[in-house]
Amino acid sequence: VFALIKLIQSLFGALHSEGTPGQLAAGIALGSIMGLTPLVNPHNAVVFALLVLLNVSFAGGMLGWALFVPIGFLLDPLFDWIGHGLLLAPSLRGMWTSLYNTPIVPLTNFNNTVVLGSLVFALLAFVPLFLAARWAVARYRATVGERVRQSRWYRALTATKLYNVYRMFRP
Amino acid sequence: MRVKIFRWRAIGPLLVLLVIAGVLWWLFADTIARRETQKVGTQMLGAKVEIQDLHLDLRNGDVTIRGLTIASPHEAFKNLLQADEIVADLDVVPLTEKKIIIDRIVANGLRFGTPRQTDGRVAAKSGEGIAGRVLAETRQWASQFQIPVLQLATGKISIDSLDPRRLSTIPAAEALGAKADSSRRAWQAAFDTLHLGPALDSASATLERLKRARATDLATLNEARQAINRLKRARDRVTTLERNVTQGTANLKAGIAGLDSARRRDYAFARSLLQLPSLDAPEVGSALFAPGAIKPFERVLYWTQLARRYMPPGLLPRATTGPSRARRAGEDVRFPKERALPRFLLRSAELSIFLKGTQRYAGQLTGLTSDPALYGRPMLAHATGPQLTAGAMLNHLRGVPVDTAGATLGGIRLPAFQVPGLPLRLDPGAATTQLGFNLDGDTIHARFAIRSSNVRWARDSGFANTTIGDLIWRTVSGISNLDVEARLSGELHRPQLAVRSNLDQAIASRLREVLGEEVAAAERQMRERVDALINDKVGPVRARVNEVQTQAQAQVAQQRARLDELQRELEQRLRDMTRLRLP
Repeated sequence: VFALIKLIQSLFGALHSEGTPGQLAAGIALGSIMGLTPLVNPHNAVVFALLVLLNVSFAGGMLGWALFVPIGFLLDPLFDWIGHGLLLAPSLRGMWTSLYNTPIVPLTNFNNTVVLGSLVFALLAFVPLFLAARWAVARYRATVGERVRQSRWYRALTATKLYNVYRMFRP
Repeated sequence: MRVKIFRWRAIGPLLVLLVIAGVLWWLFADTIARRETQKVGTQMLGAKVEIQDLHLDLRNGDVTIRGLTIASPHEAFKNLLQADEIVADLDVVPLTEKKIIIDRIVANGLRFGTPRQTDGRVAAKSGEGIAGRVLAETRQWASQFQIPVLQLATGKISIDSLDPRRLSTIPAAEALGAKADSSRRAWQAAFDTLHLGPALDSASATLERLKRARATDLATLNEARQAINRLKRARDRVTTLERNVTQGTANLKAGIAGLDSARRRDYAFARSLLQLPSLDAPEVGSALFAPGAIKPFERVLYWTQLARRYMPPGLLPRATTGPSRARRAGEDVRFPKERALPRFLLRSAELSIFLKGTQRYAGQLTGLTSDPALYGRPMLAHATGPQLTAGAMLNHLRGVPVDTAGATLGGIRLPAFQVPGLPLRLDPGAATTQLGFNLDGDTIHARFAIRSSNVRWARDSGFANTTIGDLIWRTVSGISNLDVEARLSGELHRPQLAVRSNLDQAIASRLREVLGEEVAAAERQMRERVDALINDKVGPVRARVNEVQTQAQAQVAQQRARLDELQRELEQRLRDMTRLRLP
């Protein structure tokens, strides 16, 4: 329940934040990388750092993460297939061999089929996702956004302490 | 308005987060490493790996493990080994390439086969991962051996019901009957196409005319010569038919012989339905000791096959199951590179082993690596001590891996075990065990032997009131020596197992004495039952075949005799008429 409330808060908090649709969309797209790929991997630390350091919506990032975790689980067989194809492609063997025997790089777990497949998928989906999210947020704000902001349940939602924590990182 | 790209005020919280992460690592690194080691070890070996305490000292490259327990993947409540303390001297720099290079390990207080409270098997229960697959393969391999079973508990011989549909003589007899009928029809048709009647009639008429003709009647003489030629041609045709008949009758005779073979097969099949005790010495040996002898082979094969999976030859990319996590594990693909470090290497290990309670043994292991082609030397292990010599070599340098192991251990107390097929328990006492194992590619040669000079026998209560039970008990209870040897050889997928022991001959001869007559009577009864089922079918067929043979041969012989007689008379008459008569 707590996670669900948090997700809803994130969703509406992000949609009604002062950030531009572009900032929100960039946050969602970055968060999608964390959601689509297995979480405990060094590249997600980089993504998290980018979410914090870049002037994008952190709430959007959390929203993107929460939204794309189940999608990641669902698409794992596809990621496995993509990773398998890439890692065992004879034409790429030289590159993988060099990377595998280079310090630090193996710590990224790039040689795992699901990690590589999901990361490649997430990077390819990044720009289309950013564009789609920016359009969707702009449409939302232009249509039903103001009515939602005025509603009683939205005020109740934003009155919780969690919202205050969120405000620390809003754009 | 210009949008800022960086959120500089977030650097502070991020740094705080990093510091917190660093502190957490400092606090929990040992716990994390211990849990990861347990997880990876369990996954790799197919049995629970438990560590009481693990301490990482990365500054000095030391890892200290205390209280290591590795459960047996084969036995539920037994450990494979326990170690009091293991100190590893780790190369730190290769860790940045995620490579574990251990220069030296000192392991103290190794104990094998200790009991445990909980079931530590993982692969045996889940069947997952490389260990699970290898375990399933080796179990299947071990189950392929046909081990004879001694039925001595009651000493009774029983006969299962005999299904006539499973006898091969009956369909063979039916087929032979059909073949005889078909041959009869074919020969009759061939005989009809000979058209002997006109030739014989014509020759008879010519002979009559010749008898009345004079020597100057040239036309009749010529006619007689032509008749002789016609008879000769007819005889040739009869000869051809006779040849066919001879060949056909030979086939039918072979069919009759085939019926006899089928009958013998049916006897053998029916005999297999009898639950007879084995009377041959080699079978007794296999029945008594093969189940126990296969186990060590199965276990050594499990570890060898596991080593082959984790230490494959060559430098091609290899995929192994990825780490277990909530998400799909996927596969980790390794990319070994020439002149680079392997993924895992243990250069040398010094082992201090406890066997037989407190007796201390020393062992050494070198070159345990995930990439033997990169290390360039085979893995070697050896251990020595009082009454112990053991050694192993895993050579995975070339395309065809060769794995060899051998051990001789004396004075070890083996557990008592139930003798299969006999309600007897055998306590080998302090025995000397030997194991030799060689797996060259897919060809296996292995030997397992137990020798003891103070075995003890115990009998179960169910054995007490049977003649055979008493007899076997009297036979074995006086034997204090035990000498068992099992040999395995051949291709891995179809190996030959031979087991012999000093008990085989003794038990077999006693069995033969007591059960010989009873077995003979049971076999006689079984043969009568088979005969009763098949004689009704075989008898008429045999008679029909004989009749067809006789009839065809008689018909051919009769016509040939008639032709020969006519020809002879014609030639005689011609000779008489053309003989020169001098005044």
